[in-house]
Amino acid sequence: MRRRLLESLGVASVIAALMVLLQLTEVVVGGQAPTTTAWDHPNLEGIWLDVYTTPFERLVELGERELFTAEERAARDQARMVSPGRNRRGADGRQDVAGAYNAVYTSAKPAGPRTSLVVEPRDGRIPAFTPQAQRQNEVQRDWRLMLLRNTETCRSGARGCAGGEYGPPSPRRFDVAPFYNTGRMNRHDGPEDQSLGDRCMSGRTPDVNGFRRIVQGADAIAIGYDTGQGQGYQRVVNLSGHHPPTQIHLRHGDSRGHWEGETLAIETTNFSPKFPFRGSDENLRLVERYTRVDEDTLVYEVTLEDPTVWTSPWTIRQELKRQSNEQNRIYYEPRCHEGNYGLPALLIGSRMDEQTFAEGRGPNPFSLDTATCVTGLRD
Amino acid sequence: MMRKQSRGSTVVAALAAAALGAVVSVAVTSTASQGQDQAPRQARTPDGRPNFNGVWQANNEAHWDLEAHEARPGMVMQPGIYDYEYAKVPAAPVVALGAAAGVPGSLGVVQGDGRIPYRPEALQVKQENAEHWIDRDPELKCYLPGIPRAMYMPYPFQIVHGTDKIHMTFGFSNAARVIHLDEVDLPPDYTYMGHSIGRWDGDTLVVDVTEFNGKTWFDRAGNFHSEALRLTERFTPMSPDAIWYDVTMTDPETFTEPWSIAMPLYRRLEPNATALDYPCIEFAEEFMYGHLRREQLVKRWEGETMIVEITRKIPQGDRLHEWYRR
Repeated sequence: MRRRLLESLGVASVIAALMVLLQLTEVVVGGQAPTTTAWDHPNLEGIWLDVYTTPFERLVELGERELFTAEERAARDQARMVSPGRNRRGADGRQDVAGAYNAVYTSAKPAGPRTSLVVEPRDGRIPAFTPQAQRQNEVQRDWRLMLLRNTETCRSGARGCAGGEYGPPSPRRFDVAPFYNTGRMNRHDGPEDQSLGDRCMSGRTPDVNGFRRIVQGADAIAIGYDTGQGQGYQRVVNLSGHHPPTQIHLRHGDSRGHWEGETLAIETTNFSPKFPFRGSDENLRLVERYTRVDEDTLVYEVTLEDPTVWTSPWTIRQELKRQSNEQNRIYYEPRCHEGNYGLPALLIGSRMDEQTFAEGRGPNPFSLDTATCVTGLRD
Repeated sequence: MMRKQSRGSTVVAALAAAALGAVVSVAVTSTASQGQDQAPRQARTPDGRPNFNGVWQANNEAHWDLEAHEARPGMVMQPGIYDYEYAKVPAAPVVALGAAAGVPGSLGVVQGDGRIPYRPEALQVKQENAEHWIDRDPELKCYLPGIPRAMYMPYPFQIVHGTDKIHMTFGFSNAARVIHLDEVDLPPDYTYMGHSIGRWDGDTLVVDVTEFNGKTWFDRAGNFHSEALRLTERFTPMSPDAIWYDVTMTDPETFTEPWSIAMPLYRRLEPNATALDYPCIEFAEEFMYGHLRREQLVKRWEGETMIVEITRKIPQGDRLHEWYRR
């Protein structure tokens, strides 16, 4: 029975890749952790989690204010409890797949004290894209809107079509996308039209959502991430050696670390352009810092720079809380791919839609919105 | 079992270099190259245990077939001119790859009489698995390889030997396992990679692995097991750069008695040794979903069956064929 449950989670992951379904875990700690490892390094070992939900970027109106008031946090928790978006199924069944994930399934973490994960720049917002990245983003946005133009989403002027217009199916709809696609689009010609989440490849570095397990060796540190419903991954931070040559591109980059006093500093380069983080490209360079500030708290900071994408570096900061080692509540076997019935089902469904349309028994597939899910509805 | 210990690490590295033809610049004199690029390696942990930290890789043919087997000309075979089993020829999926698509022979790694003691009905399943290898082997779909298979696939893996955990990250599919040297609760579900609990028996790390889901194989020959599989692994240092890896498989639903495999695992000794990911989820998409494309890249699908047509052009200036044409 328990097998079935987790197999079906594999299916679920495709549909709800962007939802964070972490159950709130109590901070249960047992015993005093030694302050150094067997290798005489500062001890960061264990399972760690950001137990709060925090906006990635700060609301503009909060300016440089870093902390919420107690009232604001309570209000945020209350708003999420009653959010209609968490129990919305739609009338025609197509939304049901997304709507089926109501509050029963999407248990959430409580609102945290910080107003944003981004702490640098001081306004808590990701710096502006470079002109080059802006052009790329526009190409992508135009492409996705082009594929939606004949749908109800655009006809009704819903949020999912913002910036687009309603019209007949575009003559460009069968073209090869003019960029390397990693997001969902309103077309399912093959795996490349799907999002990385649909393809069980949404886990990417840096990760700020999931559990992580840190194991420290003599000259390397393993970090296993449990994130995105079975889309977790493993990283090894080598404390010696050097980055590979620049022609080597890796999904999670190549990580080399060293100790700066009590802080583990990690530089990661050699990223693949196929797994962007918030628009990053292959020139992404991360500098991460892990510092244990007390028995149960690990401060994590990551500075991201990619001069082809952002006009300045920016920094995320999280406080991670130690989780029970004995309970071992980390799903260290990411197996979204092994249970990915969703991806072939999306492709099969599309071929069926095309066939019924060709036989005059169904609507033009390009008049159906199979991309924006909940945001495609009129608000 | 330990008699190979006397061979120097230089020989081991040279053997590894020979097998890993793609790695051109392997430095076989690893001891000389240490120091500039790598931290000096301690043979033991501060608490006196063998130090397994590092990048490791098996260097044998076990990933093809745990049992002794002859070399054959193709990963996928079909009947040739003669009706003999030994006269089969490469089949379409690999024929264009020539001698690079064959299977190297091996004396096998199964201990005792070299045979896996299948129950009769399980042996039949194994034979069907072998016959339908490209349809059934989870490796081709990039599924998590399971234990022990991950330990001897032809990809490096890195051991991070921590205080109470030993973490292994495998190049293949970014898979991993954590060996718990302390007490933790069981996982909530059966697993591909198993649940590993380790303890020390002198210098040997003994690991009991349970909670398997029965979906993984042992090799590319169709050797398989059920959910009842339990493993006892023994990792014994042969030298600072080699581990004798011995595993006993117990699965009464599939085998008449427990059986064992054993092999050395070798340290990758080249400077800056790094276990690069082999991110195969993406690599397997065409294989798994190609028939569902609106416009298929493989030109002949019959339903879900991929019909591979081989076009092989003799390149201009090929000396052998130019000579024939004269």
